[in-house]
Amino acid sequence: MIKPQEIRKIGVDGLLRNNPTFRLVLGTCPTLALTTAAMNGIGMGLAVTFVLIFSNAIISALRKVIPNEVRIPAFVLIIATFVTLLRMLLDKFIPSLYESMGVYLPLIVVNCIILGRAESFASKNPVVHSAFDGLFTGLGFTLALTLMGAIREILGAGAIFGVTLWDFRIEFFSSSAGAFFVYGISIALFNFVYTKVESRMHKRKFEKLYGHQELTVQEEAK
Amino acid sequence: MSDIIVSASPHVRKKRTTRGIMLDVLIALLPATVAGLVFFGARAAVTIVLSVFGAVATEWVWLLCKKTSIKAIARQFDLTSVVTGLLLALTLPPLDYKYFYIPLLSSIFAVGVAKMLFGGTGKNIVNPAIAGRVFAFISFQSPMVSGWMRPLFGSVDSVAVSSATPLTSMLGDSIGAMGVSNLDLLLGTGVMGCIGETCKIALLVGFVYLVVRRVVKWQWPVIYVAVCGLISCAMGKSMNYFLPSVLSGGLLLGAIFMATDYVTSPNNKWACYVYYVLLGVVTALLRFGTKIEVVSFAILLLNLIVPLLNMWIRPRPFGATPIPQLIKQKCADLKAKLGKKKQKEGEQQ
Repeated sequence: MIKPQEIRKIGVDGLLRNNPTFRLVLGTCPTLALTTAAMNGIGMGLAVTFVLIFSNAIISALRKVIPNEVRIPAFVLIIATFVTLLRMLLDKFIPSLYESMGVYLPLIVVNCIILGRAESFASKNPVVHSAFDGLFTGLGFTLALTLMGAIREILGAGAIFGVTLWDFRIEFFSSSAGAFFVYGISIALFNFVYTKVESRMHKRKFEKLYGHQELTVQEEAK
Repeated sequence: MSDIIVSASPHVRKKRTTRGIMLDVLIALLPATVAGLVFFGARAAVTIVLSVFGAVATEWVWLLCKKTSIKAIARQFDLTSVVTGLLLALTLPPLDYKYFYIPLLSSIFAVGVAKMLFGGTGKNIVNPAIAGRVFAFISFQSPMVSGWMRPLFGSVDSVAVSSATPLTSMLGDSIGAMGVSNLDLLLGTGVMGCIGETCKIALLVGFVYLVVRRVVKWQWPVIYVAVCGLISCAMGKSMNYFLPSVLSGGLLLGAIFMATDYVTSPNNKWACYVYYVLLGVVTALLRFGTKIEVVSFAILLLNLIVPLLNMWIRPRPFGATPIPQLIKQKCADLKAKLGKKKQKEGEQQ
């Protein structure tokens, strides 16, 4: 079975190091189109998470059965099954969300995050690992979408999660130009903070291994 | 021979600095600013001050965050942000005091996003003032569109002027219903509009100054305005459209001060011809297509293709093969190639 350290590694990978939105820049279409409000972001993110968990698990279980030559159509078929399932469920139980997501819900089938995880992770790893990978990647996506949705909703509509905060709105941020702008700025900030943290962690690891030595250029040259 | 040292290029120098050129632009903008103040009074003054303050403050704060010392910033300060702030204010309508945040936010956007994010002076891909205006226009539609103010003096007595800018009514109705004569448009008396764009005479004075100081070549704004006017005539099927379409809206302001920005216009002659003709065409077509004033959008759009124009249309080096000869060569090459293909096909058959 899966070890706690492995879960932790997969978690850090999915949420931060390989964050689908901010690090891999995958799934940009729903990211740009649906982040006008924080609630949409959560809805879309959780929908993708649902599909990711199950498609990853099934693809991983079938990874030795699926012939290499036709793996992409097979993956898409499995993904489409779960998207159809999700659409029926949402239509029945949360019709408001179903309507607000519109065409982007069926488009999850061709979402490159799901196909990407299937190709790069699920087709090479055991079932439980793949399910956890789906969960954390999906959560990373949800987190990113919610963050962007919140920024755009606060600035563009003066509200957060549908609750009006003030009467001041900069409509630029609700428009698609604002989507690209917020997306670019968030990618830049996320990577700035992430590389800072990562380099500090590397330094700490190094110090743990070799004591508090300063690695000078001369030593490196030797 | 060994006494002579050839330094690296450039060998021909001028004493002109960015700061000097920007000072010239500011001086050229002075008449339009004064006209705006005369026509729209305190509101215009507040808008201009806020916008210039926002632009300069953004640049200085940005440079301070990059850990440049205040002294160094002051030494390098080249007035571009002042020009950006002033131009931006001139393209905004004289806003009510309660909208004080519009000039501030849009000048912060103009300098912070359109200029500093791309690397500062000389590295921006779109004109910052235009970007700021478009930001304001998209973000605050209701005050930007309905915030027009009657000029303090002038013969405002027609119904057509009181609802919108003369341009909108011109595009909406026939010329007869416009109610504003060409002379009014030229002087800006009784014309509603943005702070700097109503008095065309002031803009033309600034244009003459820029041409005399050789900051701007006279051809470019003239081409832009002429093409735009002619296409408007063609769309309206009447030569009467020429003067109103040229003299109303922000066309002159955009053509003289914004389209000719050094950074965001092509850097050689032929590319410039293409650029300004295209600008005229796009402006006129967009005007008739959208029925709103679109000079800023047209310039923004065309700014984005400037790198392509620079790439496609290159100045020919001295001594290069003349173009007719080049075409002949290419044709000969093509013929030879086709001939070979035919031969091959013949052999295969």
